[in-house]
Parts: sequence; structure tokens; C-alpha cells
Amino acid sequence: MSVDYVDAGEAVDQGLLSGKVAGGEVAPPVVAGLDYERILNARREPHNWLTYYGAYNGQRYSPLDQINTDSVKRVVPAWVFQAGTTGLIAGASTYSFEAAPIVVDGVMFVSGWDGWVWALDAKTGVEIWRYKHAVPFDVSLCCGNVNRGVAVAQGKVFTVTPNARLLALDATTGKRVWDKTYGDVRAGESATLAPLVVKNMVVVGSSGGEFGVRGHLDAFDLASGEHQWRCYTVPKPGEPGSETWPADGEAWARGGANCWVTGTFDPETNLLYVGTGNPAPDFDGGVREGDNLFTDCVIAVDVDSGQIRWHYQCTPHDVWDYDSIAECILFERDGRKLLGHFDKNGYFFVLDRTNGARVGITPFVDRITWGAITRDGRVTAKAYPDKEGEPVHFYPGPAGAKEWTHAAYSPKSELFYVPVQDTGATATRRRREFKESIPYWGAGVQVDIEDMAGSVSAFDADGDEKWRWRNELPMCASVLATGGDLVFAGEPSGEFNALDARTGQMLWQFQCGSGHHSSPTTYTVDDRQYVAVPVGWGGWAEGFLPGMLGAGHGSALIVFALPDWS
Amino acid sequence: MTTMQERSDLLDKIGLAEQNKAALGQVLGTGSIGYAAETSDGTMRATIRIHPDELTWDPSILVMPHGGDIELELVNDDLNTHCALLPSNGDRKFIWLVNHSRGRATLNLDGPGYYWYCSPTGNDEGRGLTGAIVVLGEAPPEARLDRPEQPRP
Repeated sequence: MSVDYVDAGEAVDQGLLSGKVAGGEVAPPVVAGLDYERILNARREPHNWLTYYGAYNGQRYSPLDQINTDSVKRVVPAWVFQAGTTGLIAGASTYSFEAAPIVVDGVMFVSGWDGWVWALDAKTGVEIWRYKHAVPFDVSLCCGNVNRGVAVAQGKVFTVTPNARLLALDATTGKRVWDKTYGDVRAGESATLAPLVVKNMVVVGSSGGEFGVRGHLDAFDLASGEHQWRCYTVPKPGEPGSETWPADGEAWARGGANCWVTGTFDPETNLLYVGTGNPAPDFDGGVREGDNLFTDCVIAVDVDSGQIRWHYQCTPHDVWDYDSIAECILFERDGRKLLGHFDKNGYFFVLDRTNGARVGITPFVDRITWGAITRDGRVTAKAYPDKEGEPVHFYPGPAGAKEWTHAAYSPKSELFYVPVQDTGATATRRRREFKESIPYWGAGVQVDIEDMAGSVSAFDADGDEKWRWRNELPMCASVLATGGDLVFAGEPSGEFNALDARTGQMLWQFQCGSGHHSSPTTYTVDDRQYVAVPVGWGGWAEGFLPGMLGAGHGSALIVFALPDWS
Repeated sequence: MTTMQERSDLLDKIGLAEQNKAALGQVLGTGSIGYAAETSDGTMRATIRIHPDELTWDPSILVMPHGGDIELELVNDDLNTHCALLPSNGDRKFIWLVNHSRGRATLNLDGPGYYWYCSPTGNDEGRGLTGAIVVLGEAPPEARLDRPEQPRP
């Protein structure tokens, strides 16, 4: 006797089973009126954090001062958002919570690992909506299942996915508006950065420098998603810069130079300032003789055309994995338009951002043995893996004296604050042939698990160190500077610290339960200042701190405030 | 050298593809393989079953010819209750599958690549109710790198 099946119905969105009340899944239209002019003047809205760095200048500075050197000792957690993880996900052992939370008029937009984006009530932490992109389990990820944040404008939230898609979501509902593929996952490309909205465009870069791809930036129309331009960061034969690659063969086609960290923008020069990644293969320079432009460069890109206007190469012919993807912090001094850039190679570069002219070069970490750069810009390599099978030890290791995590600049103190990683590594060259989607390092690499140090160091624009807050472990998270004369900095061991911006003295600390590898931001709702920090150790920990590979991952967004602010 | 036939024989001989024989459950990736059917409008369809006392999906590896929308029929012929958590762009899809029930799910997936799905109750996932959806294809031409064809593994 047959028995009819029970009708199980239609599968529903998992987010519906998360305790939401009817109507609670729609955010107020706070992004509808967010246009280019407002983003251009983002710091005139100190209650908001409108773009990745807080403003186009990349300073990661907020003038908010309710939490200050006097009041910070009373700061407590206001709310915690925990996403957790279910099912099998790509990079299950390497996911990390790396984002910089965006806040617009009381609504927070934040991305997680594995294709997550959330809209949260910035006052209570209650989830309003979620978007989950389905991420292939087998996608190529050099360094972990991570995402560094979203961009918002014109009613939309923009995010990239590990399988190299750019999505535009409706900021009120989280529903997809448009979806563009801008990388080839079969070639080993992926995407991890926070998009940058400029004018009517959203600009993104590709990841995949460890897989022998050809780096590029892409711009898309905000409204339609129509592709506007692509800027390759390794020239084809015959193009400017191609003379820095071997004339024969296809080294250029696998050359790397990925722009995997968000750029900055100056509306007066109309230039994007973007750091480019390492050449490929990372450690085997013998297959790519020459300076290998535009790898390891600060490039200035005309935002309307996508053309490179000037470049400055920080590590010519890199064989240490010294991406120059670090932020380019825009600032002015004596009427001169400058940018500051703390490079993985251990040097702090100050450039004239109108033309790329060198203004200053100063080491910002104690141990630099790979080579030396003199103040006139001359680069001399000293220790490098050029002999097959012969181990070579060097400082800084391949994660750099500072990885992607960001420095900050306070226009109030006129100081830069940089998280420093003082760790070495050993590379042994092992040549291999190139195959698409297979890691293309050209060496075996082991990062030191002993004899390491870290700091938050304060420098002026001349490169003079003004103070140093020392830590036993390298500092692997972005810092945040505020008008309250504070510098917030998270430790790999979980502590979240507030330092006095003028002296480096620690004024407050909270143990968050997992290591920091993200970008904290600050905002106000109803006149109460909050400091938000995603906490979730992971990413390329074997690169920047293998001694903490066994630490718990975590996946919490913790938001702090004063208990009595009114 | 191990051939596919040898692998199948070894799975049977050792008992890796059955419940409570070699391991406690069925080892991931040892189940059946099936193709999704494609209609003239490009929509893909497939049926996935749970057979009695097998605690595995049939097929446990479902192959889609390309990225896009797929309509699934999910049938639980088992004598116990399970569920399904399935990947889809926008949000994952969830459905309860009580004993002897039949339900539906519509998924949107990018290609190429593969995705896991599962029954997230108890340890159904570990016992064998973790399956894969494989999406074939290439990145669209406009997204590919401007360079000569490169060798692949």
C-alpha cells in the first residue's frame, strides 16, 4: 500500500528563522540620499562612518571626542553581534572577521567572511537584514576566507565575494540589485577588499597574487552595474613599463600586482592612490628579471579613465612578498599635497601626491635585513632567496612590518600611528612551472614563531618616531585615531586597547576573547559615541603570526560606549 | 595505480560507503553522482532523495552544467526526520523533511565551483547527510584576464 508523501512545502530563507519580528527586516532608507557630495565631505558628518577609511583621505580619523583620555576608563561593552558559522564553508580554518563597519544615520552595514553582509541597528546590535552569497567551497584563497568591508551610496550596499563578484544590494532590504563577475576563479582570482565609491562609480580590485594572475582595478556604474574601465597593473608587451619584464616568455601574464586593498582619493588631483601587490612567483625572481612594474607600487590612477598617471615602486624586483597594498594616507604640509605609506618592506614613504616625487623614506621597524633603502631612494637588496634549495632568513617576513591592516593619521596631533610587526622568516627557493589556479610561490616559506615583537608607533611626517607602545606579539589589526586624543588598537591575543595619542600610554583595555585582525570604526547615535570592532582571529596567520595559529577564531562584532553619556 | 573500479571495490570491501560498517557513518564524497536536467528555458531541475536508513543524499554529488537557477525536489523516504540547508545566492534555503515527505527548493548558484549542503540536525552532517553541488563552466569572457591561454593542471 502506498502512502502519500507529506508536503514539506518550499524551502525558505534561513534568515527568516532568526527571531525577526514582522517588519523588522527592513532598514530605514538612510542610504537613499547618500551621494558623492556627502561622501566627499564625509568628516562633516562625524556621527557617521560613510566609507572604508572614514573619508577619502584614508586617515582613519574621527573628530568624535565624547570618549577621550579622561572618560575612556569608564568605557564598557554596549552590545555584541555574533554570527557564528554553520555547515561547511570555504577556508573553514582560515576565516577571519576583517571588516570596517560602515554606519549611516543609525544603521550599520558590515560584511563578514564567506559572502555575509549584515545591516544592524547601530544602537542595539539587532540584525535588520542579512545577505549571504553562496561561495564555492573550492575557491582559490591565498590567505583566508575574508572580506574587509562594504561601500554604500545611492540606496545601495556594495560588496565583493570570494568568487570575484561585485554585488549591489538594496540598502533597505539586502536584496540583490545587480551582480557582476570581475575575476576568473579558474585562474585563481578572488576578491576581498572593500569597494570604493567615487562619483558615479564603484571601484574594486582583484586578489590572487599568489596564483600568478595579472592584477587589475575595475570600475562599474553605481546604478546599472555597467563596466566603466579596467586598469591592468602589469603592462602587456609594448606598453609603458613592459621593459621591466623579460622580453621573451609570458612572465608578465602571470605577474601579480593585485590591488587587494581599498585605495584613497583626492578630488583635486582626480587621482585614486592605490597600492599594488607582489610580483609572481613571490620568491623566485629568476623567472622575471627586471624591476617588474607595476608590482609593489603606489600608483596614481585617473578615476575617470582608469589610466595610471604616475607610480612609485617601493620594492623593485621583489623576492620577499612585499606587497605595497598598504593604505596611502593623504595629508597636507606647508601647502604641499602629500601621501604617507607604510610599506610591508619596513619603510615609511612620504610622496608628493601630485606627481609621485619622493619626499621622505624612513624605516619604521627595528629589524630590516632584506636590504636597505637610502633617503635618496636607492634600493640595495642584501638577503634574498636566489639559490635553489638554499634557505635565506630575512626581516621583515612576507607579511611585512605592517600587513594590510591600517595605520591612522590624526590631523589634530599631526602624527601617524602604525601597527608594527617585527617578525622574520626563512624562504627556500623551489622553482616550479606555472599552472593556472595552482599556488605559484616559487619557494618554501616558514615564518618565525620565536623572537618576535610588535608595537603601535607614532611618527611625524618627517619620519621621526615620537613614541612607541611595545607589545610582545606583533600588532596585526588596524588602528583608529579620534578627536578624543585616543588611538584604539587590538592585539592578536584579544585585548582591545585605548592609547593616549600624545604619549602612547595605555589608558583602557578590554579582553575581547579572540584576536584582532580588523578595522575598528566609531560613530554616534542619539549623541552617544560608540566604538565598533569586529573580532575574529584568522586570515593568513601563518604569515603574520604563526605562533598564534592555535588561537580561537571568534566571530563577534563588539561595540563599546560610555555607560553614562548624557 | 588506483583506478575508479578499484576505488569502488575498496569502498565496498572496507565498508566506507555505508552506515556503521567501517566508520560510524558514511564517509563524505563516497555516495552517488547525478546530473541536473536542463529545460529549454535554461532552468535546471533535479530530485534528491534520502533512502531508508542510508543517511545520505542520492545523489550526494549533484552536477549542474552551468551557474543559474535550479529547482530541486527533495524527497525523504527515510523513517526518521531530517532537513536540508542549501546554498543559494541571497540566503541559504532551509526546509524540514519529516518522515516520508517531499518538498521543494529553488537555488541560485554561480559557476564554476562546488558547494556543500547538509541536514543540520543532530549530527546528520557527520553521518553522511552532507552533499555537494558541482557547477560546471567558465568565468564569463568579460571577466577573464587579457593574456594568452595559460596551462592548467
